[in-house]
Amino acid sequence: MIANAAERHIPFAATLVGRRELSPDTALFRVAPEPAALEQLSGFLPGQFVQLSVPGGGEVPISPADLPGEDGTLELCVRRVGQVTGLLHQAAAGQPLALRGPFGTGFPVREMTGHPALLLAGGLGIAPLRSLLLHLLRHRDQYGEITLMYGAREPGLMLFRDELVGLAAAHGLRLYLTVDFAREQAAGAYACAIGLLPDLLKGFRFDAGESYVAVCGPPPLYRCLVGELTGAGVAPERVLLSLERRMRCGIGRCCHCAIGTKLCCTDGPVFRLSEVADIPEAL
Amino acid sequence: MEISAYLANDNLPQFLDTLRAFGTLHGPTLSESGVSLFAPLTSLDRLDLGYRRTQIPPKKYLFPFRDTFLEYRDGRYRFPSGDSKRTVLFGVHACDLEALAYLDQVFLSEPEDPRYAERRANLLLVGISCTPDDYCFCSEPAGSARCDLFLTEQQTGYLVQAESSAGASMLKAAAKLLVSAPPAPPRTPAPCVIPAQDPERAYSRDPLWDEFARSCVGCGACSACCPTCYCFDVRESTGLTGGGSRLREWDNCLFQSHGAVAGGNFRPGRVDRLRYRFLHKYCGFSPLQGRSSCVGCGRCKEVCPVDIDLRELIGKTAPEPGGGR
Repeated sequence: MIANAAERHIPFAATLVGRRELSPDTALFRVAPEPAALEQLSGFLPGQFVQLSVPGGGEVPISPADLPGEDGTLELCVRRVGQVTGLLHQAAAGQPLALRGPFGTGFPVREMTGHPALLLAGGLGIAPLRSLLLHLLRHRDQYGEITLMYGAREPGLMLFRDELVGLAAAHGLRLYLTVDFAREQAAGAYACAIGLLPDLLKGFRFDAGESYVAVCGPPPLYRCLVGELTGAGVAPERVLLSLERRMRCGIGRCCHCAIGTKLCCTDGPVFRLSEVADIPEAL
Repeated sequence: MEISAYLANDNLPQFLDTLRAFGTLHGPTLSESGVSLFAPLTSLDRLDLGYRRTQIPPKKYLFPFRDTFLEYRDGRYRFPSGDSKRTVLFGVHACDLEALAYLDQVFLSEPEDPRYAERRANLLLVGISCTPDDYCFCSEPAGSARCDLFLTEQQTGYLVQAESSAGASMLKAAAKLLVSAPPAPPRTPAPCVIPAQDPERAYSRDPLWDEFARSCVGCGACSACCPTCYCFDVRESTGLTGGGSRLREWDNCLFQSHGAVAGGNFRPGRVDRLRYRFLHKYCGFSPLQGRSSCVGCGRCKEVCPVDIDLRELIGKTAPEPGGGR
C-alpha cells in the first residue's frame, strides 16, 4: 500500500537497467526503482499499473508484465506509440526514469484460488495478463486448469512466444496461439492457428460455470468476446476486463478516464463485466 | 466575541482596508475591456460591488490555469517551493462559495493535493449576498458553503457574520467600524440546485443530444467558466539548462484531445463529449458519484455562443431561475 499523499504525487527515482526487443515496435524494459519505491511495489497485484516517467518527456500508465522481481527490478512491456513511449524506446541502460504506484485494482487472485482460469489476450494485451499468468503459475497448486489464448495480428508481432511455449511445457499451461493473418507455411513454422481469438474461443470446451476469465486487448476484442463468454455460461462477476483509458494522474483527479461514472484509474483498470455491462460506452 | 455585527455603508472602505492586514485583498472588478474578474483591489475604486458574475470563477486562486506541479532536478522530481501568499478574496457570491466547497472535496480528499492544500490554507473568503439575474438558476444556497465572513446587504449597510475563527479575528480587528447586531438568520440548507441525475439520462435517446451535438462548436467556454470544472492535463518540458518541469493545465472535456490516447480516441464525437460533460457535472465521478456539481452560477448559459443548456435534457426538474439570496 502507498503510505502518504506526497508519494502518490511525486515519482520515485528509477533507472533503466536493460531492454529486450520483442517486435519491431515493442520492447520489454527492465527498470530498477529506488528501494523506497520497491516497498510500495511489494503489494503489487497483477493488473495494477504504474505511472512511468521519462524525465523531461512526461508520464504514461503502464501495467507491469510481471510482479517485481527479487532482484528489485520491474518488467514493463511498452509499445512505441506516443511521445513518452517514443523517448523510452530511444533510451539505453543507465537512463534515469521515475515511477509512481502501483495504482488501481488488480485481478482478484485470492478469490480465483481453486478455480480454473482462462486468459484471453489480444496484441499488447498480453502484457498485463503475463503478470497474472506468471503469478498463477508460481502458485500452480492453488489454481485449477490454466489456459491462455493469445491472438496477434501476424506471427512477427506475437510477443513472448518462446517463453509461453516454454511455460506450457513446464507447468501444464494450456496454450493456444493464433494470428489474424499469415501464410499457411509461416503459421506452421510458428505453431499457431490462423483466425481471430473469438473464433478460437467458439470451439473451446471449458468449465464455464467454475472459470474465471481475464481479458485484455484492443477495444473491439472485448465486444466480440463478452457475448461468447456469457453465452457459454461464465458469470459476469467472473469475467475480468482490463480496460484502457487516458489516465493522466492515476489517482482519480484529472478526470480523463471515466467509464460511465467510474474512473478507470481508481475503480479499474480491472473491472468485472457485471460492473460495466450496463455502461454503453464501456466496451 | 461577537460573531455578527452591522457595518454601515460609509464604513465599508475602511472595513476593506482593515482586511488588508489579513492578506492581499482581491475582489470583483471590471476590466478596461468590460470583463468582470476577481483581481487585486490595489485601489478600492476598482471594486465592483454590484457585479453579477465574474467571467473566470474563483477556482483560479486554488487551481491556476497553468501551474508547475513538479520540478525535475538532480535526478529527482520534487514539488516546487511554495509560492502561495495569504490572500483575502472579498465579495464572493454564495454559488461560488458552494463551488469552492466542492473543489475542496475533490482536492483535499485522500490523497490530499499538496499544491491545492497550500493555496487553500492561505485563502480567506469573504462572501456577499447577491441579486440573481436572468442567467442565474440558483435556489437558496445550501448553508454548508464555507467562508470566513459573510456580508448580507441591508438597506444602509451590511450584516456581517463571522463563519470561522479567522472571520472572528477580522471582526475583532474592525470592531470600531461595526455596531452590534443580532446574529444573521442561519442560511437555510436547500436541495442541490440541479439534483444529481441518473447516469442513464446521459445515454438517453433524447433527440436533443444530437441537436446539441450539431450546434456545439466545441469552444469549451462552458467548462472553462464553470466554477466546479477541474479536469486537468499534464504536460512536461525540459529546461534549457537541464532539469524540467511538469505542468498542470486546465483541460476541457469539450476538446477532442480530452479522450485521445496514443492509439485512438475514446470520445471521438461531439455527442460523446457532451455526454461526458453531463455525466461529470450532474452525476459525479467515482467517490463523488451521486453528486451534482452545478451551483447555478449561470456562467455556462451566459457564455455559450450557441445557447446550449444541458439542463434542458433534465426536463422540468430544474428549479425556476432566480430564487437566490
